[in-house]
Amino acid sequence: MAASLLEFDRVSIHLGGREILSPTSFEVGRGEFVCIVGPSGCGKTTLLRAAAGLLKAGGGAVRHSGQPVTAPSREIAFVFQDYGRALLPWRSVSGNVALALEAAGLPREQHAARIASVLQKVGLGAHAQKFPAQLSGGMQQRVQIARCLAQTPQLLMMDEPFGALDALTRQGLQDEVARLVRDEGLTVLFVTHDLEEAIYLGDRVIMLQAHPGPGRPSLARMLPVDIPYPRDQLATKEHPRFLALRRELFAFIEHGHALA
Amino acid sequence: MRWLERLRPWIFPALLLALAEVVLRQRASDALAPPSAALKSFVGLVADGALLQATAFTLGAAALGLLVASVLGVILGVLLGLSRRAADWSELSVELLRPVPSVALIPLAMLVFGFGLRMEVAVVAFAAFWPMLLLTQAAVRQVDPRLLEVSRVLELGPWDRALKIVLPACVPRLFVALRLGVAIALVVAVTVEIAANPNGMGYAMMIAQQSLDPAQMLAWLGWIGVVGFVVNAGALALQQSVARRMGAAP
Repeated sequence: MAASLLEFDRVSIHLGGREILSPTSFEVGRGEFVCIVGPSGCGKTTLLRAAAGLLKAGGGAVRHSGQPVTAPSREIAFVFQDYGRALLPWRSVSGNVALALEAAGLPREQHAARIASVLQKVGLGAHAQKFPAQLSGGMQQRVQIARCLAQTPQLLMMDEPFGALDALTRQGLQDEVARLVRDEGLTVLFVTHDLEEAIYLGDRVIMLQAHPGPGRPSLARMLPVDIPYPRDQLATKEHPRFLALRRELFAFIEHGHALA
Repeated sequence: MRWLERLRPWIFPALLLALAEVVLRQRASDALAPPSAALKSFVGLVADGALLQATAFTLGAAALGLLVASVLGVILGVLLGLSRRAADWSELSVELLRPVPSVALIPLAMLVFGFGLRMEVAVVAFAAFWPMLLLTQAAVRQVDPRLLEVSRVLELGPWDRALKIVLPACVPRLFVALRLGVAIALVVAVTVEIAANPNGMGYAMMIAQQSLDPAQMLAWLGWIGVVGFVVNAGALALQQSVARRMGAAP
């Protein structure tokens, strides 16, 4: 993989004297959609925060285009799970998107056009003047995704973005995000506890294990998802490969729980 | 029936006033006067402009003092809330100065500023400054860490972070501080006038007392209560309107 955009090189992370992530190495290629799954407490979110520069790696290095990641940057957008806390409640939908444009120092006269185009992409064109408290959970998460798109990142980190949403909303947003990511040529690291979601969205699924034992990496397995695109909520989830991968992942998670 | 519902809170005060009227009419006293006499005296105060002038002075002094306290308190509060080091450096000074009763500063303020508006404003500002400072500091510390992470991911500078994230996020709590400050400012302004400053409603009430005019004294007392009620209601309405404009759920 010559064009690796993000590289984890034996990254380990300690928090409060406990090793959350044991030395883990992997690479993410440009344009790839990589999902991370694993039992709770295995360090999924920690890994994602380290990739975004929100956390410093204790050992090893995270590299973005070959440069070590030491602090957050606008190149790496982060979609938090708790959209309600990540939006500015005092700003309207367009105001929240504008924050990313203000941060990037985009000239004021270009804001309106940029905001309109980004909101169009996430299907919020008609809700620009509403405040977050007036929107449903799914729509609030769209606002956060819109703000992330507005910062024109190369990498998109998504931390269980649909975990708090109902099943139907979640499926709709999965398809929208898959389409957006393809259209924008984004590279995605996507943490989820929903194994089917990981297979459905990912080009690759990385499995982490909790408490791997001394000297062993948190990264347990890496599965390429060889299911053709475009994917479909019904057909893909009945695809023989989907079922086989699902069985494999479930077996692994069960096994992990048995060990712990 | 709805108008009866609305009247309900007024029934008790009306009964109390009626009782006072009956009792105080029967036994004349140098200390107390019946409400009707106080009302008559009040009308006189309105007519000769004394009411307006004294009210304007007291409210003006309270508002100016609160303004000074708010500006200083919010600026320093944001600073101490954001910087652990600044908070450590200032903690002892704050804890030593804060318990000083504001009224105890009247002699000092009088020596520095003499009688008048500036002295009263200074004492009010001192009294209202501490709650503004401490509540702002606490509000800043309680800003959701998620919002600070958003500002980090967007690489906002410290100035933008303070103005676009921290301050707006604090606004609901700052208004709680402001309402507390309003109440304190009014109490301290009247206290200063009673104790020292020959101006405003507090002084007018003292004069009425010293000239053995209980009707006028009670007129002032009642009026001060009404002014306090209106000012607090105004602050509450302002708080709610700002909350609505800032996207709070209705």
